Formats: sequence, structure tokens, C-alpha cells
Amino acid sequence: MVENAASATGPSIATRIGKLDLPAPTLMGSGCYGSGEEYAPFVDLAGIGGIVLKSVTRFPRLGNAPPRLVATPSGLLNAIGLQNPGIDAYLENDVAKFAERPCAVIGSVAGFSVDDYAYVTERLAARDEIDAIELNISCPNVGSEGETFACDPGLAEQATRAARRVTAKTLIVKLSPNVTDIAAIARVVEAAGADALAVVNTVRGMAIDVETAKPRLGNTTGGLSGAAIRPIAVLAVWEVARAVKIPIVGQGGIENARDALEFILAGASAVSIGTGNFTDPRAPQTVADGLRSYLAERRIASLRDVVGKANPGFAGVR
Amino acid sequence: MPALETSPAIHRTVVSDRREPAPGISVVGLYAPRLAGATRPGQFAMVVPPGGERAATALGIYEAQGDRISLMLVAVGPRTRELATLPLGAQLDLFGPLGNGFDLAALGDEVALVAGGVGLASLLLPARELLARGARVYLFYGARTAGALVDADLFAELGARVYVATDDGTLGWAGYVTDLLRETAMHFSGIAACGPSPMLRAVARVAADLGVRAQLSLEETFACGVGACWGCVVGLSRESAQAPRFPAPAPGETRDYVHARICKEGPVFWAHELRW
Ligand SMILES: Cc1cc2nc3c(=O)[nH]c(=O)nc-3n(C[C@H](O)[C@H](O)[C@H](O)COP(=O)(O)O)c2cc1C
Ligand code: FES
Repeated sequence: MVENAASATGPSIATRIGKLDLPAPTLMGSGCYGSGEEYAPFVDLAGIGGIVLKSVTRFPRLGNAPPRLVATPSGLLNAIGLQNPGIDAYLENDVAKFAERPCAVIGSVAGFSVDDYAYVTERLAARDEIDAIELNISCPNVGSEGETFACDPGLAEQATRAARRVTAKTLIVKLSPNVTDIAAIARVVEAAGADALAVVNTVRGMAIDVETAKPRLGNTTGGLSGAAIRPIAVLAVWEVARAVKIPIVGQGGIENARDALEFILAGASAVSIGTGNFTDPRAPQTVADGLRSYLAERRIASLRDVVGKANPGFAGVR
Repeated sequence: MPALETSPAIHRTVVSDRREPAPGISVVGLYAPRLAGATRPGQFAMVVPPGGERAATALGIYEAQGDRISLMLVAVGPRTRELATLPLGAQLDLFGPLGNGFDLAALGDEVALVAGGVGLASLLLPARELLARGARVYLFYGARTAGALVDADLFAELGARVYVATDDGTLGWAGYVTDLLRETAMHFSGIAACGPSPMLRAVARVAADLGVRAQLSLEETFACGVGACWGCVVGLSRESAQAPRFPAPAPGETRDYVHARICKEGPVFWAHELRW
């Protein structure tokens, strides 16, 4: 039966994240995909699962002084500093156009206090154009405040609870790899009402210019992404998948289906592609096609059948 | 500078020719008919790395004629060396054309083009178009040493007057090309420049002193190259026509300018509007 279903229509790569039914398990990472229109000339947005928008904050932020990017071996250091127009201007000027996107649109909320997270989440989630909220409690590029929430179980719990109270839409909480015990943070965030977890944000890092004897980023430190962090991110998903029963959106250096499968086999129900789009804007299509052929070659009907398959401690998705 | 109507796309190109005008500097010709037709002077393309696992490389489009475009590059690191040594017939995927390009109409009829090193690559298409419409073009071209001054004859053949400078004095003016520009005491209706950022800052100062407006094509590390990540910004006056819409600064913000994306609002900006 399963085999017939697979051969008649091709294997399914559909997945579910909270209340979101996604035709493809591919989200585009926050801060890496603009609002989607920047990539529309290169890729069919209807073929992707969804776009996670750039994080928005309560007040406008001009962001960090340049330089904001350093290319590293197989990776990218960034320190953007949450440049965004603030929630008022964002709601007024930007959100309406998201209605045209042929895929899920997930708003990303960043903050510097529990109250910020509640306030911005409530206002953004109230808009019909926004299908779900991702809580960015793990930005490493805004001084100590931004990431503190993902590094302190008490604060992670409070921020999640505050956002949960103000919206019934799917709530994804994005965790930081820059912690000793990511599973412990994942557990409290699950208990505080998150519907899903994004694992992981960037790994803290820096680079120094030996000619000038100065840090190369305007912000001194930054967040590392891309292929360089993939093993760190796969391990984080592996550990979180053993600790919680909510779905995980795995991310960190995914460029092709094999990369994505590492995360899925570790226990992720979906993946997110950020830096991979910078290497090749066709990455979302490459990943989706590759996942379909992986399943077809093995006569597996659905991607859901391989989630967590490599992880004996995988607790299963509720 | 008016934003140009462009239709960027992914192009599968094929290496058609290659030459090394100086050690370490390569010009790679590509069969890319659609891209050649769509490119405007000063635009760039992102080259998808053949091996994956690193960001695409932004390169100014050097020549664009008929079915062919070319890219000029210095083979400094592994990625540029990989591009410089691609065999003829190899496939290379690019996306573009990207960025705004120069506003040639605003430069007038007595135009100084200022190039530092392979910054020259972004000035050939402007030179061609300016000369075609009857403008006089003066190329000020600086490099480390005589051997690194490549293709100056190409500009001369088109009809540009060429002035060269070398850091080590092996050819032309000994010293910075921007000092040469100042010393000539010629009259220009506009300046267009491309090169390393210390040179561009110097061009901005000289232009201000000469009372001439300058368009600078900025170089920066890009991640996306398409305006999606806000990684490649420069400070820009709020009054600039290129300034992205941004609300009044939040309480406590001391910076009175905005950040513009070099890959999207740029790479070409009016020197006097930059806050850098
Ligand atoms: C330039 C850049 C900007 C980013 N901005 C944000 C952001 O605003 N909010 C956020 O939650 N994550 C942000 N991230 C993190 C990514 O969404 C992603 O979680 C991380 O880069 C790891 O995935 P990747 O290796 O596929 O990029 C950013 C990453 C990059 C490279
Ligand atoms: S490199 Fe991403 S916005 Fe310019």
C-alpha cells in the first residue's frame, strides 16, 4: 500500500510545524531571505515551505556599523545588529505585501525585555498576512541583551510564555547553540507553550585583521553560519530531539538534500536554509528535489517516516 | 541616482576564452547571451562557486557585447584562483545583472573615470557608452606597479585619454592616482570611480575640493548580493534619492543617516551623500 502510494504520486515531503501544514519542509532562514521578493527572480517561491522574515523589534534599529560580514572557510560571520524599521513602520509599510507570497510567511520577533516580546508578538501576530511567529531569543549581535534570553532558562521561559499568551498562532522559538545544555533550554521552552523549536541560530565567533591588528567586524564579534557550523547544529538537533516532543526546524549550513537529511534523521521535522541561499539561490529547489529522490529511491512514502530515524533517543513528535 | 529597471536571473554560462594580462590578473570570457544583453554599465553578477560551501563571489561585469560577457579578477584566494583557472568550455553559473550601475547622463560631457587596480573592470562599459554619446573621457588608472596596469590600451583604442599612476613609480605618475587627478587641474563635468575603498575616499575628497560631483562604485564583502541580508551596508544621507525608507531614529540613536545596501541601492553612490 505504502509503496503504491509512493509510486502513484511520488513521495510526500509535506510536514507539519505546530498548526502549519507545509507542502515542503523547507523554510528560508530569518534575516537571510529578505521578504522573499529579493529571491523571486531566481526561485519559485511556491515550491518552498515558507519564509521566516527578518526579525523585527519594538523600536527602529539602524543596526551595527559596517563591516557586517566576513567570509570564513566554509562559513560566514555576520553582525547585522537587527537593523529593522521597528514594529510600527513595519506594520504600516511592509506587512501588506506579504499576502502575495505563495508560501507560509512566518514573522520573526526580537526583543530586549519580556515585555518587548509580548508587545511585538501581539501586534505582528494580529495581522492576517502572518501565518506564524518565530521568537528570536538568540541573536548574538546586539550586545549581551539579545542572546541572554536563549542562554538563561528562566528568561527563555518568560519570553516564550509572554508570547504564548498573546497569540494562538504557531509559535516557534529559536534557540542558541552558545549554551552548555541546549536540551535543558528546549525543555523549559516546550513547557512554556512553544509549538516548535528552531535549532540553531548562529555560533558566536570573530575574526581579526592581522594587518590592522583590529577585529574585522564593526561589531567586533559576530555569528557564524554556513557549512562550518553544520556538525554543531546537527548535534544540537540530536540532543533537543531527545528532550522534547514538539517539532524541530533544523538549521545551520544546509545547502543540499544530504545536509537537510542529516538534520531530519537527527529528529528535525523541517529545515531552514539561510546561508545556503548565498551560495546558490537554487538551494531550496535542490533540497526539495533531493529529498524527493532520496525517498523515491528507498520507496519511502513520506518524509515523516525518516524523521529521527538515526536517533535512538528521539522522543517522537506529539 | 535612478534605480535601473533590471531583470536579474540565473544564467548558465560557458567559459569561452581566457587571458592573463598580468601575473595573477585574469580576464575570463563567458558565453552568456541573455546576460550580455541585460547588463548596464556598473552592474555586477554573483558567481556561484563550482564547489559549493561558500558564498557566491560578486564581480563587476567587465565587457558585455553580443553573446559574451567577461569578468576581470585577481587570483588572490582559493575561490578566485578556482575561477581564474576554469578550463575553456567549463560551465559557470551566475546570477545577475545586479545593482544600480552608474548614472551616465548625470556625469556630463567631460568625464574623469578613476580606476584602482581591477576596479577598472567596472569602468569599461561606462567608457564605451560615454564615448558613444560624444562625451570626452579621461581615464585615471592607478596600480601598485607597471605590470599590474592592464588593458589601458583598450580604453585608449576606444578614444579615452589615459593617465596612469603607479605606487612604485615604474610607470606614469609616481604615487596615488587621486593625487594625479588633483594635479592635472583639468575641468571635469563629473567623476566616476571604482577601486579599493581608501582610493574611493580619496576620490571623494578630491572631487569635493575640485567642486565636481563623483559617483563611486563601492566594494564590500557580499553575502546574498540581492538585498536580502543587509550585510553590505554603508552610511547614506537621509536626503539621498537612494536612501531606503527608514523611520525617524529611535530614542538614544545618535546617527542621523541611514544604512543603504551596497548590493541593492548601490554599488554606485554619490560621494557627497555617503556618511562613511
Ligand atoms: C546575514 C544573516 C542575518 C541573520 N539575521 C537573523 C535574524 O534577523 N533573526 C534570526 O532569528 N536569525 C538570523 N540569522 C540566523 C539564520 O536565520 C540562521 O538561523 C543561521 O544563519 C544558521 O543557518 P544557516 O547556516 O543556514 O544560515 C541571520 C543569519 C545571517 C547569515
Ligand atoms: S549582500 Fe545581502 S544585502 Fe547586500
